[in-house]
Formats: sequence, structure tokens, C-alpha cells
Amino acid sequence: MKHLFFVALLLFSSMHFAQNTTIAAGEKLTFTASYNMSGLMTDIARVTMETGKVTTSKATLLHLKCTAATFTKWDNFFKIRDLYESYVSPSSLTPYLHNRDINEGSYFKFMQYTFSHKTNSVKSLMRKKNGSGVIYDKNSEVKINSGTRDIVSTIYHIRTLSIHKAKPGDVQTFKVIFDNEELVISVRYVDKETIPTAIGKKECYKLALSLQNSTVLKGAINDNLLYLTADANKIPVYAKFKIAVGNGELKITSATGLKN
Amino acid sequence: MRRLFIVLGFVAAVLALVIAVTPLSQLAFIPGVAALVFALIAFYISRRKQYPKKSIQLIFLLSLISLVLTTYKAVFTTAQVGNLEELELKEEASMEDSKELLENLDIKIEESDPELIETEDIDGWESQ
Repeated sequence: MKHLFFVALLLFSSMHFAQNTTIAAGEKLTFTASYNMSGLMTDIARVTMETGKVTTSKATLLHLKCTAATFTKWDNFFKIRDLYESYVSPSSLTPYLHNRDINEGSYFKFMQYTFSHKTNSVKSLMRKKNGSGVIYDKNSEVKINSGTRDIVSTIYHIRTLSIHKAKPGDVQTFKVIFDNEELVISVRYVDKETIPTAIGKKECYKLALSLQNSTVLKGAINDNLLYLTADANKIPVYAKFKIAVGNGELKITSATGLKN
Repeated sequence: MRRLFIVLGFVAAVLALVIAVTPLSQLAFIPGVAALVFALIAFYISRRKQYPKKSIQLIFLLSLISLVLTTYKAVFTTAQVGNLEELELKEEASMEDSKELLENLDIKIEESDPELIETEDIDGWESQ
């Protein structure tokens, strides 16, 4: 029965059923990322989540873009300029192409995933610097399960869930390809909670996130939380996370171009 | 005892001053306040035993400078993102490359079916 439900879950969370009535092109969300330094939450970076439309000769896709940039005062110490983007189906948020371009201090990494949903595979391109600073490419093909997404489209996909139908304690899992590995993200609906944010006091769905086959996220069950507004837009207004080197949080500062 | 508190006060005050000028200035409150406490204890002992207070005054001065600087930075400094030109160029280049790649992909977009939204948007929440 458990396996049967798992298969059904995979089917429901796959690209064929879930429909996007939450996210439209032109949406821009801005966040401030803070990190706990010796007990003090310190603002370190600005994170943006933007959507746009991209038209090719075959289709019109939704472009999901997330960027992270450290504030000026940190640039001399540890400069971050990260770009995460996905090109997805506007209706189901099925990813077709994902790029991850990381520039953190002297660390550089570029990952590109080209999804083939017919063959359930991903063509992966990794571009990295070696020890002597020379950039090299590594191509590979990764087999994925049906419904596996990249990290960006998964975040947006979580926003399209019918959370109002969930009861506290209910769980959904999602398969995410990250660094050529398929991770399983578990999303547990905790409850509704009203929190003050920069865009007003919002009633939110409180979700607890965990990674089933990875040790990236640390802490107890309520240490990695995501708050989505309990309205038709399901804006992520607050998130807190705990990783090996500490804990931090993301707070919304502005939201424009919302669909509803 | 007095000498110990003076040494501790000096170390904490200098540390607070150094941290206050870095981006981690908020952390300077901890050694700053500690330096003030050490200086107060040393001052109290010195007054009771009629010892000179010059060095203690210096600790007060250093810790006050660090605390004022930290408070000023916390109140008046707004977090701003620096030069994003590099990132914007990267975004544009990535968009162009992605468009080329997407042209060569076999993309089939499913049209939204309003009936499907109502009836099959079950999602699959699993009770625990």
C-alpha cells in the first residue's frame, strides 16, 4: 500500500497533472539573506526571484531566475554573485533547461541540465576551475525518475501545491537533481501562522523541509522552515535554515508583479 | 586584581575597536560592553585603594568610541548591493545561450485544462 501510494504520489507530482495558477511572468520577489554570527543575525546578501517569458520558435516558456549578491560591505571579504535559472512550461512548471552559475569568493562552478522527459534523463554539463585555475568541462548523462525537477523549478512548484487541502502533519516528497545526484526533498505542512513581514502582516502556511538522502540540511524537524502566504499567490515570505556551518534566514523585502 | 581587570579591559576595548571598523561591527557590542564592565570594576578598586586611574580612563575612551561607532553603523548604514554589472552580463549571456539550446530541444507544452485544475490538482499530501 505504501509503495502504491508512493507511485501515485510520483504521478501526481509529475508534470502531467499539477497546474500553475499561482505564478506568472513578470513577478519579482526580493529577499534579504541573513546569517547567524555569534548569536547575531547579520544581513549578508540580497536574493531575488524573478519570472519572465521566453519565446522560442516552438514554444513560450516561463523563465525562473534566482540571483544572490552579497552586500557591498561583504564584497571585499567574500563576494557572492550566484545565478540559478530554469526554463519551464508555464502551465506545469516542467523544467527543460536549468543553469546554475556560482561565483563565491574564488570558487567558480557552472552546471547546466538539459532535461529529456521522454527518456527520463538529463544531459549535464559541469564547468569548473581546476587547481591551477584552468576551466574545464565535464559532460555526462544522468538517469532521472519521472517528475524529477531542478532546484529552482521545485521551489516554484511547491508554491503551486494545494496546501489548503493538507492537514497539519501531511507530507509530500519531491525529487530534485542537484550536482548530478537525485535528492528527495520532503515537505511537511506544519500549520498556519500569522507573521509580520516587510510587506505586511501575513497569514502563512508553515512548511518544514528536509532532505531524505543528504546531510546538507541540519538540525531538528523545525529548523528548516518555509512560510508561504496563505493566499492565491503563496509568496515565500520567510525561510529559516540550518546547515553544517551555522544557521540563517531569508526575509522578504518586496514583492511585485504577482499573478493574483 | 586591579591589574587583571585593566588588562582584560584593554584587550576587550581594543578588540571592540577593531571589530567596530569591520563589516562585523554588530559583534563589537559584546567586547565593548565587557570592556566597560572591566573598566568599572578596575575604577572601583582604584578609587577604594587610591591608585592612579589614567589607564582606566583610556579603556573607557576606547570602549566608548567602539560602541558609538557600532551604534552609528547599525543605525545609519543601509545594506546595499554592490556592482552587479558582472552578474547582469552573465544573465544576458546565459539567456542567449539558453535560447539557442531551447531551440534544439523537443518541447511539448501541455495546455492548461481548467477541468483538470479542479479535479486532478490533488497534489498527493500523505498523512503521517
